Amino acid sequence: MRVALTGTPGTGKTTVADRLDATVVHLNDVVRERGLTERTDEERGTLVVDVDAVADYLDEELGAEAGPVVVESHLAHLFDADQVVVLRCHPAELVERLRTREDAASHDPPKTPEMVSRSAEENAEAEALDVVLAEAVEQHGADAVYEVDTTGRDPDAVAADVRAVLAGDREPSAGTVDFTEWLL
Amino acid sequence: MSAEEGGKQDRWGVAHIYASFNNTILTVTDLTGAETIVKSSGGTVVKQNRDEASPYAAMQMAEVVAEEIKAAGIEGVHVRVRGPGGNQQKNPGPGAQATIRALARAGIEIGRIEDVTPIPHDGTRAPKNKGF
Ligand SMILES: Nc1ncnc2c1ncn2[C@@H]1O[C@H](COP(=O)(O)OP(=O)(O)O)[C@@H](O)[C@H]1O
Ligand SMILES: [Mg+2]
Repeated sequence: MRVALTGTPGTGKTTVADRLDATVVHLNDVVRERGLTERTDEERGTLVVDVDAVADYLDEELGAEAGPVVVESHLAHLFDADQVVVLRCHPAELVERLRTREDAASHDPPKTPEMVSRSAEENAEAEALDVVLAEAVEQHGADAVYEVDTTGRDPDAVAADVRAVLAGDREPSAGTVDFTEWLL
Repeated sequence: MSAEEGGKQDRWGVAHIYASFNNTILTVTDLTGAETIVKSSGGTVVKQNRDEASPYAAMQMAEVVAEEIKAAGIEGVHVRVRGPGGNQQKNPGPGAQATIRALARAGIEIGRIEDVTPIPHDGTRAPKNKGF
């Protein structure tokens, strides 16, 4: 069984994946290490992934895997999956998380504080607009999608919710988390 | 001062449409974006939460907004669409097209339409047409 663990950057996918009892693919690392990209987005200082190359990698690498595999990335919902978990976080909290994380991280090539700030703002707006959720539902149908709100919650509690999805103990949900008031 | 004497600056605005999975929000500003003339959302015209993002709610909301901006002297708008459904007919974000059509039907001239949907990204991002 393949599970996509997706959500806007900063919603806590990597943090939660490390608390799961499953084989985890950190897709962003794979993309960078194997160079599965087609170009650089200079404006955002980010690499544009080669979707077909990543899909091929996942099929070859995970085809024989027996147990559940969790593919963790804000791009995970673009690929085959039996279940899609979408982590959510209120945009105001997301900006704080991203600024804190980016302060600690080093970038290659380096990013100006202004670029870090602009990235955080764009991700927050994407989160308020349900961009990842909408793409997940469009690609997989609402019956395969499980939204988990992480706002103000401990990573252990979030991980427990994700484990419940993997165990089949949660009903699909899409449209239960609404941050649009942040845009008004 | 007659209508002819006012510059195009005063008679045109920018309609910012936010079409999410959950709702449709419409904000009309002046051309610089500095002054907000009116703000509304699908949530103001429907009772049920789940209907807020529907084309019907977007249409009704936009009809009210059109009258308000006409009263404020706006005759035309450039449109900036943000939303996963910005250039698609079907779900999600179904409110974007309905909003634009309702403004046009109410007699508001529609200028440039730009898709400025934010792209989730960290070190990587998806291509624009994600292979859907
Ligand atoms: N539930 C949570 N509550 C508060 N902070 C969190 C939570 N989950 C993750 N974080 C913090 O937010 C930042 C982003 O988390 P991360 O797991 O890197 O997100 P993602 O992998 O989704 O981009 C990190 O600094 C992390 O420590
Ligand atoms: Mg991560």
